[in-house]
Amino acid sequence: MIMAVLMPIVYLVILGNSFQGKLKGLPVAVVNLDTGEYGRRVTETLTALQIGPETITVTRLADQTEAVEGVKDGLYKGAVIVPTDFTRRVNMKTGPEVGIFVDNTDQISENTLSGAITEAVGALRHDFNPVRPDRSVITARRVELYKSVDYDQTLVPGVVVMAIFMGTMITGVFNLVMDRFLGVDEAILMTPLTKADIVVGLVVSGFVITLAMAAIVLVASSWLTGLTLSNWLVQGTESMVVMALATLGLLSLMFLLMGRANHPRIMGVFSGFLNVIFFFPSGAVYPVQSFPGWLRKFALVNPEYYAVHALKSILFKAAPLSVVYGDILFLTGFTAVTMTLAVVTFKRTL
Amino acid sequence: MPSLAVETKDIRKCFGDLCAVNNVNITVDNGEFFGFLGPNGAGKSTLIRMLTTVLKPTSGTAKVAGFDIVKEPGDVRRAIGVVPQTMSSDLDLTGRENMDIYGRFYEVPKKLRLKRTKELLEKVNLENKADDLVATYSGGMRRRLDIARVLVHRPEILFLDEPTAGLDPQSRRAVWDMLQSFRKEAELTIFLTTHYMDEAETLCGRVAIIDHGSIITKGTPDELKAAIPGNDIVVLNIEGDGEKALDAAGKEPYVHKANMDNSELRCYVDNGGDDAPLLMQAMGRLGVKVGSVAIQKQTLEDVFIHHTGRSIREEETRKVSMLLGAGVPQKWGR
Repeated sequence: MIMAVLMPIVYLVILGNSFQGKLKGLPVAVVNLDTGEYGRRVTETLTALQIGPETITVTRLADQTEAVEGVKDGLYKGAVIVPTDFTRRVNMKTGPEVGIFVDNTDQISENTLSGAITEAVGALRHDFNPVRPDRSVITARRVELYKSVDYDQTLVPGVVVMAIFMGTMITGVFNLVMDRFLGVDEAILMTPLTKADIVVGLVVSGFVITLAMAAIVLVASSWLTGLTLSNWLVQGTESMVVMALATLGLLSLMFLLMGRANHPRIMGVFSGFLNVIFFFPSGAVYPVQSFPGWLRKFALVNPEYYAVHALKSILFKAAPLSVVYGDILFLTGFTAVTMTLAVVTFKRTL
Repeated sequence: MPSLAVETKDIRKCFGDLCAVNNVNITVDNGEFFGFLGPNGAGKSTLIRMLTTVLKPTSGTAKVAGFDIVKEPGDVRRAIGVVPQTMSSDLDLTGRENMDIYGRFYEVPKKLRLKRTKELLEKVNLENKADDLVATYSGGMRRRLDIARVLVHRPEILFLDEPTAGLDPQSRRAVWDMLQSFRKEAELTIFLTTHYMDEAETLCGRVAIIDHGSIITKGTPDELKAAIPGNDIVVLNIEGDGEKALDAAGKEPYVHKANMDNSELRCYVDNGGDDAPLLMQAMGRLGVKVGSVAIQKQTLEDVFIHHTGRSIREEETRKVSMLLGAGVPQKWGR
């Protein structure tokens, strides 16, 4: 009864906050190589964007290579490079440009970032003669760091993670719940199998089936969206590593949450609820930066967030596993903690 | 090997205010075939679940194969084989696979597991169906598989909770024969619960009768029956005033005891052949019509009636009606 009342409220809160709102706090690296007045004004204008509408958070760097690498490593959503001859070009009216290096695999963030910076920078203008091309207007040239990714392709990691979640609801602990409901779980409890044997055994059995399901979804969704990988073997293998860890983590979590359920209907009721609270704050559909603070904090402990982030890095940026070490570390730790708790809390008697 | 296979001391299990097992004290010797007889809801399954470590007692202690059920549950489980009331063989596996996986649970080495699986499947006449899915088996076949499965690891004690419930007479007889054969070959201790008195009488060396969670009486079937007055029971099917018939029968000098069970007047006498005609005459003098008359030997049902005033059949019907009326789901008492 209580869950039936809470669920619609949670759906409303989560869904409403997942899809609305302007992006805020997009991390941007700014490198001002210019020593003149206009380079300084570009930096000041970007700082104003941080203080006012809070669209971006600025990190000033001295080295443009560091800035661009930071974008590739996922530290920043974009890097603004003011070239050394920027002020001279503005004064000479020879087409001054500011470089914006963007993570174009995240379309929504990229569009917001490019738009805000271009608009802000473009406001710094000289008088110009409209007959001839106005070479005094300051422009920003957008540079894509990665191959273009369509919106439906960006959903592939999220769809794979959702498939993993669905798999965890129909395997693993679900078998135990069904056995308990049918009254046949006694036959297992009367054997010398330990708690760890039962929990880990069921998790591993669910792991094999769920991972196979996720792999099929990855291949099918890639095909449907036309997503191609530069190196299927390497990227495919790396994706499987992430998917395997996410599967183990979610299976263990389900066991911890449902280990004492005695009716399959309970799992059915919970599946929709849990899917919403894990999937939408994962950043699979909309960037986490658009969420309010409390939802962003939840994303930090949500295993699906790390799985989606890792898969996006591998599939769209051809990033090596070293780039997603943080995600892998979290998923590994999460699995260890939830599986341990699942074993400890499992009730070995009726 | 410990001197006693099973030993309980004031063992008790309560669910809220309801005590399903109430201070039960029993001992079962090694190699014995011990039976727990009582109607549904008497506490038999609850007791067996405690002894097989899937339910913790509320109070009291018990030892199985010399191990404490609460402090040493792992050791208890390794020493026993259990056939629960609900058929638990996996429908998605074949008979052979069910045997194999169960053997793995008990860490039986592969070679031994394969050998015993083959032998046991032959003994229970399932060798021709061994590689078919259990979903295609009949109830009797599934029950035979359940029993064979728990013998792969050669337990010291076999617990069976209502092993022939729901089976046809032929299948029941096949299970009985199988149990007796296994017990003889393997020197197995068998602890069985049942609500079938013929099963308890046929199989068990000693029987404890339980009702409402407490033991009413225990002993060998012959000892229990000898405690009832008389040797025979004359059963009259009364078509008239049952109360009048009962009252009159109770006053006859050769009738030790009389009771009514629905329309059946049961009179405990020393010699049914001599006393039945006398009873017919008594009923005739009263004007009470008698539909039929039969002479029976005493059974454990009579022992139950003697101690409780009710038959096991009547008790089951009453309990089922109560449960259905209360809307209690089938898994009450679990």
